[in-house]
Amino acid sequence: MTPGPARPDGPARPARARRKALAAMEAETGLVHRRWWTPYLFLAPGLVMVALFSLWPFVNTVVLSLTDAQILRGGTFVGLDNYTRAFADPDFWTAAGNSVLYLVVCVPCLVLLPLALAVLVQAKVPGIGFFRSAFYTPVIASAVVVGLIWQWVLRSDGLVNTVFRRLSIVSEPVPFLTDSTMLLVSAMIVTVWKGLGYYMVFYLAALGNVSPSLHEAAALDGAGPVRRFFSITVPQVKPMMLLVGTLSAISALRVFTEIYILGGESGGPGGGARTLPFLIRQVGLGFSGETGYACALSILLFLLTLVFSLLGRRLSKGDET
Amino acid sequence: MTRSNATRTAVATLVAGTFLAVSACGVGGAEDVREGRKTGEVSGEITFRTLQLKPKFTGYVQGVIDAFEKKYPGAKVRWEDVPGDGYNEKLVADAQAGALPDVVNLSTDSFQLLGDRGLLADVAALDPEVAKEYVPGAWEQFKLPGKGDGVYAYPWYVTPEILTYNKELFEKSGLDPARPPTSVEQFFDYADKIAASSGGRYSAFMADPKGRLPGDWQKMGVPILSQAQDRFVFDTPKAVEWVERMKDLYAKGAMPKESLLKSDDINQLYGGGKLVFGPGSPGFVKDIRQNAPQIYAGTQVAGAVTGTLGHIGIYAQSLGVKKDTKHLDAATEFAKWVTNGPNQVEFSKNATIYPSNAQGLADPRFADRGDGKDAETVARAVGAEQLRSAALDANTPVQWTNQVGDAVVREMQKAIQGEQDPRTAVRKAQEEANQLLAKSARK
Repeated sequence: MTPGPARPDGPARPARARRKALAAMEAETGLVHRRWWTPYLFLAPGLVMVALFSLWPFVNTVVLSLTDAQILRGGTFVGLDNYTRAFADPDFWTAAGNSVLYLVVCVPCLVLLPLALAVLVQAKVPGIGFFRSAFYTPVIASAVVVGLIWQWVLRSDGLVNTVFRRLSIVSEPVPFLTDSTMLLVSAMIVTVWKGLGYYMVFYLAALGNVSPSLHEAAALDGAGPVRRFFSITVPQVKPMMLLVGTLSAISALRVFTEIYILGGESGGPGGGARTLPFLIRQVGLGFSGETGYACALSILLFLLTLVFSLLGRRLSKGDET
Repeated sequence: MTRSNATRTAVATLVAGTFLAVSACGVGGAEDVREGRKTGEVSGEITFRTLQLKPKFTGYVQGVIDAFEKKYPGAKVRWEDVPGDGYNEKLVADAQAGALPDVVNLSTDSFQLLGDRGLLADVAALDPEVAKEYVPGAWEQFKLPGKGDGVYAYPWYVTPEILTYNKELFEKSGLDPARPPTSVEQFFDYADKIAASSGGRYSAFMADPKGRLPGDWQKMGVPILSQAQDRFVFDTPKAVEWVERMKDLYAKGAMPKESLLKSDDINQLYGGGKLVFGPGSPGFVKDIRQNAPQIYAGTQVAGAVTGTLGHIGIYAQSLGVKKDTKHLDAATEFAKWVTNGPNQVEFSKNATIYPSNAQGLADPRFADRGDGKDAETVARAVGAEQLRSAALDANTPVQWTNQVGDAVVREMQKAIQGEQDPRTAVRKAQEEANQLLAKSARK
């Protein structure tokens, strides 16, 4: 946008006089004067979409969370009742705990392992393209297929347990899918496995920007590959690590599919492996769904996600300074 | 050019106000709809929604529609078929928007919701004579608690419960295939024997508490609800005994470990010879014939376990009529037309379903056992026999919603796994179920 001519300062004039002065200025300079709403006019289509499909549902969720609405039954305003109910609900604390545990375990794995993998497949050797594609395959595999594969691997009569028993490592099958804690661990393994290839691509892009001359200079100075990795590669890709950390933290807080496909609709025995999104779905969906309470749980999940996102931002800001 | 603060504030207020006003619409539920009126003239255009019948049954359904339009030239039926995935969500969205079809295919749970919210016409009041057309167990199923003698949908096709089992594995376990279990307790005794002789190579049945409750308890004589139907009262020694038996059998390996949480691989397990008792629905017998012919050849079919009830419950699909339909005559006549005897018998020739219509069920086709060796034919006859004696007390009560079922199942899972004792599990399950019931009773 070309800036318009400076507006002559002075006391406010009547609108007509102002328009006249502007028209004179435009005629003199050949530039069209910008109204304050011009940029908003350009932004309008995008803003309308965001407002309709993001902002309105969000505001609606906030409003609903303050009611006792159920499916097809209008709610009445109940203030913060849904929130106090959530804080007194052991299911909520179990689910929130599981979500945070998921984040604490998965995020470090998803920040470090894909980086190591990216460094490995960065090497320019024949056939490396095949490995890059192979590592990326889980990302594009459908959730149902992934679920079936991992069920075959982890069932009590599945691949892992059969191998363990043949090697006499265990006498009883390990309950990967039937014990709440083990189910969470199994789901984390699947999440990390699926995320490896995805975040590897991020790191490959970042590694492409690391100047080879830095490595050459360090090698001349006698630094080994490990030293070069920690002293050159890691500092160079740190901003990307923070981005991956933030993205994977948000994903970890929203995990649902892995637990559902491995542990069924109850979310582990007694619902012990439920995460917050899992609980929200269970409470809010179906014909006896409690819309109001589910919305309150959604807002709490949003706040939790916000906290971790801000933490990520804070970390990256600290890094820049 | 900058705008004044006042303008900025005004615009922001306007936007925020619009959001709040519009979002407040989300608080609204289903309004009290006005009832349609009968005029005595079967005419006008009605919409008819079915659940996943295209493309397999397009010919059949279209034939039924064409015949109806021929009989009533003034009526026109617009048929829409919706896939099973997301069917209920679409139903809720349409109900919310006041856009329900005039005649709509409903499962038990969707019927309960729409009926409870006052969106369906009371078909018993509209046409008191129609009740005798249907099997009692099916007709009664479409009443609602707290709504008197009203019936809020026409019964359509039904699926009875049957018992299927692998004869060879039965014999291997020292059991007589000619003597299937008839009570839940006996069923557990059989499972115990199977577990003892299987050596971990196969299991007796799927643990799946969600599929087994409340049916098993009803068959054991456990009262599910109080006389007034306003409280769950299943916390009884019998219910605790059920949990104890399940826990014991689970520990002994009578069920696949994962089946405590998921049961979607039952066909695969039974078809692979890893399960003695197969799924309890006649439709499954057809699947097994196609996918595992060897296992099919050794499959025996018997009447479902009925326990102390002596009869079974049924799973019925129905046709609801929108309460505020503009063409009430056309909608009700069409729903009756689709669910009449001849049309239901014709449907059952195309699919493994049973008529809910008494005349349809009396068709000789449903009494034919063939030579008694073909599982599919026997299943059809057995299913029909079970249906004639079906009664309401074996159906899942409407108060046992999905959420109640889930809450009960969670406690059962913990007990069967040994994480809590059976007595505590049943007590906690009843407490949670009653809390949910109290909540949903809020009108």
